[in-house]
Amino acid sequence: MAISELKEGKFLLFDGAMGTMLQKAGLKTGELPETYNITHPEVLTQIHREYVEAGCDVITTNTFQANELKLVDCEYSVEEIIEAAVKLAKNAGPKYVALDIGPLGQLMEPMGTVSFEKAYDVFKRQVIAGAKAGADMVLIETISDIYEAKAAVLAVKENSDLPVLCTLTYQEDGRTFVGTDPLTGTIVLDGLGVDAHGVNCSLGPKELKPIVDEILKYAKAPVMIQPNAGLPQIRDGETVYDISPEEFTEFLELIAKGGALVFGGCCGTTPEFIRHIRAMLDKITPVKTSPKVMTAATSGSKTVIFDDVTTVIGEKINPTGKKKLKEALRTDNLDYIIGEAIDQHTAGADMLDINVGLPELDEPEMIKKVIKEVQGVVNLPLQVDSSDIDAIEAGVRIYNGKPMINSVNGKKESMDKLFPIVKKYGALILGLALDETGIPETAEGRLEIARKIVNTAMSYGIPREDVLIDCLVLTASAQQAQVKETLKAIRLVKQELGVKTVLGVSNVSFGLPNRELINSNFLAAAFGAGLDAPIINPMSKPMMDTVNSFRVINNEDKDSEYFIANYSNAETNQVPDNVSDADRTLKDIIIQGRKEESAPKTIEMLKTVTPMVVVNEHFIPALDIVGDRFESGKIFLPQLIQSAEAVKKAFVIIKDYLDKSGEKEASKGKIVVATVQGDIHDIGKNIVSMLLENYGFDVIDLGKDVPIQTVVDTVKDKDVKLVGLSALMTTTVTSMGQTIKALRDENLDCKVMVGGAVLNEEYTDMVNADFFAKDARESVKIANKFFGISE
Amino acid sequence: MSIDKKEVLRYLGHKNQDIDEELDGLIDSCIKEVEETSKPLYTYKVFDTDSTTENEIKVLGTNLVLKGKDIYKHLKDAKKCAIMAATLGIVIDNKIRVTGKRDMTRSIILDSCATEMIEKVCDKVEAEIIELAKAENFKTNFRYSPGYGDLPIDIQGEVVSILNANKAIGLTTTDSSILIPRKSVTAIVGFLEQDAKVNKRKNCGTCNLRKTCNFRREGGGCGN
Repeated sequence: MAISELKEGKFLLFDGAMGTMLQKAGLKTGELPETYNITHPEVLTQIHREYVEAGCDVITTNTFQANELKLVDCEYSVEEIIEAAVKLAKNAGPKYVALDIGPLGQLMEPMGTVSFEKAYDVFKRQVIAGAKAGADMVLIETISDIYEAKAAVLAVKENSDLPVLCTLTYQEDGRTFVGTDPLTGTIVLDGLGVDAHGVNCSLGPKELKPIVDEILKYAKAPVMIQPNAGLPQIRDGETVYDISPEEFTEFLELIAKGGALVFGGCCGTTPEFIRHIRAMLDKITPVKTSPKVMTAATSGSKTVIFDDVTTVIGEKINPTGKKKLKEALRTDNLDYIIGEAIDQHTAGADMLDINVGLPELDEPEMIKKVIKEVQGVVNLPLQVDSSDIDAIEAGVRIYNGKPMINSVNGKKESMDKLFPIVKKYGALILGLALDETGIPETAEGRLEIARKIVNTAMSYGIPREDVLIDCLVLTASAQQAQVKETLKAIRLVKQELGVKTVLGVSNVSFGLPNRELINSNFLAAAFGAGLDAPIINPMSKPMMDTVNSFRVINNEDKDSEYFIANYSNAETNQVPDNVSDADRTLKDIIIQGRKEESAPKTIEMLKTVTPMVVVNEHFIPALDIVGDRFESGKIFLPQLIQSAEAVKKAFVIIKDYLDKSGEKEASKGKIVVATVQGDIHDIGKNIVSMLLENYGFDVIDLGKDVPIQTVVDTVKDKDVKLVGLSALMTTTVTSMGQTIKALRDENLDCKVMVGGAVLNEEYTDMVNADFFAKDARESVKIANKFFGISE
Repeated sequence: MSIDKKEVLRYLGHKNQDIDEELDGLIDSCIKEVEETSKPLYTYKVFDTDSTTENEIKVLGTNLVLKGKDIYKHLKDAKKCAIMAATLGIVIDNKIRVTGKRDMTRSIILDSCATEMIEKVCDKVEAEIIELAKAENFKTNFRYSPGYGDLPIDIQGEVVSILNANKAIGLTTTDSSILIPRKSVTAIVGFLEQDAKVNKRKNCGTCNLRKTCNFRREGGGCGN
């Protein structure tokens, strides 16, 4: 059903706090308020009635924590609590009943342990129960993580026909606990098509006003605010809220006059507050806002506005023509991909393209995995790039923020398939100027296809500004006359359609020498034609030089601040200050932990000696010395790690060398390493992993919080003979025992070494492990002995 | 709030080893980064307690019952207790995690700095609680956390809940009762009559890491 107030731009008033009222009625601190729906229905009826009498339009059900994670120890089910709650709310006779959904109470991956899919399932159960019980809408509130909000909104939209409202909770620094800012929150929630969104809880109306003002500048949907009754303060060991209903309402009036439409109260508010707000709203008329029209993509905590800056889209995570990336994808080497993401970020990319298309891979699964990893380490918006529609949907669904999809084209089939996905997930869409007839030779021809794409997108309800056009680059070596047409097409598309343009630049130089020279000059010409977002290699200096100088010319880099900071010392920067000292041997470099010098020195050495010599005469002896020094207390942990990192960096060079020469690396043995299920402490495990790799073992690091089955399957599938498990807490030692039991039950021929802060010999026996490693150094000794390698 | 470098070094297992200028500079820069990126938040509430049942402390006004010999010893003479929660926020977790992907040395140093920083935040909260106790003519004992001695760690969820710490400071627990953000602490401080005997603070005997702890192995305690 539709809520007419929201459709017609009228005011809508929610009720006030529930917890505050329940505590007055005898709810114990920390007790689940939701149980009162069943044990004390009369209390709920009374509170709901008071709010209806105070004049609210919407009663929110007493179901803030009614999710299966929070109710795990509760004697009532999610369904029982929600059904009772909706019934009680309806009995009070309000105009509407909103099913209340609060946060999970646990953080999502990678900060916490809840996966996006799990979060969705938890919310789904609440939505189905609420819709069945007859709620009129769903309010998702007090959310800190926009990713969690996305899971909840999708759960509502895919499992009910109910309107959905969503409010985030911001702190005094203007961000949520997990770092979402109001602009990002607004763009994502508008994209997901919620019926109203805004802020609630955490602060009073005075402190929330600047945040709401910011939201009102951009929000397309009605804006909602439910503040606390002032800033919470601890007084005599109790939390109190202390502004009066009158003062509260004065601020809400200012906010209403700024264009907000949906109101209510959070912690500390009472029917008295609602009565005042009702009276205020009845006296004024709603104000229509004019949200800023702009093209923007976001991650979970960062927004890139194409209207404001030339946006560099990093092209490196795309296996086409990249041997190493292909290999990384085939072997599930996500660390390599993460490294590519971090390096592009550091080099100045504003967005990253993610393409994992290889014929032999399950692309939807792979793109999900890669996006989860990449968005966990860089906060740049991503471009989900695939020719497989299922991979696109899997990618944008799992994505945290408003992504760009690369790409649709002017073919009817392409548009029919892609636009519903673009609309549903609120993505930006990149349209390629080609259709059933191919790439038009003329700029005018490409403009017409672009026009078709923009108009068709709009007929799906996709805003014009969410469509970007790639006018397509042909190679100068094959179709030289066409290069100019691309530049002309950019100009035409910008002029005629007013949309942003994107261009995969590097294609132009294919087959020519000195490609970067052609690429960077073509890029400059494309900027001149009005290009907004080049897809380039941000690690290429000539390309970034062109970008950085254009940003000065185009008045983006204000006062040339960035340019001056980065180019004033260009001369001196050309001489790397970390050239390896010829007098120092690689062994010394490793022992001294000079991790910036180990790779250059290895390159130099490989000119004269074999990789085996480097490993056996430098890596291993150096690591042994460092290990002994650590053991005897001559050096301490950071120094050990520095040496290990020096070896790690040198090993990359060795691997490259072997890849190029076609030689196979001699593995000393395969070892699975994992922090057990339920435990998320992984620093120690990571150190063990690195040291084992240093010594030439083939380490399969499964990460932290690893399900028992994953360990079993990996050992089985990869025929692993030695497993290293880590647990840091007495509680997760149990999980360690279960993992080992599962390995034994499967009769797998493997030994298990265990470590972690609480582990000792006694626990090692208890969990039925084979070896106890008191530290990383010890794990190397165990592995050496196990695989019959003498020290 | 400032981080004590000596403490950071202790967490890193430092015992008089030489530290070159570069590593020293790295540690300083980590200290600065943690001081700048932490977003310390805390909350606490004061409750009356009931210790009439052996080895059980009832936190009145809630359903929380603290079970175990050690917590009983901590609170049996207390009239009230303050339950506190403090966190550095999720940003520092992310920083440590992401840094570790490229630079593990820096990551472990950041981790130790953050461990020291949260201790400092707890000291500040405890000072506030001591003032509160003084005003009511109580003295306090030390901060006792779930997981110490035989007080089970799985009460973390309930502690977070009675403090409303999820809403108030963004604190959450996992299914295995790990606090997230990771650099967070919950603790219980007893309010005792002025003439009551106060248990000694911080000894290894009550710690369930006592058998394996590195600090203990080498003599001395960890400071907790």
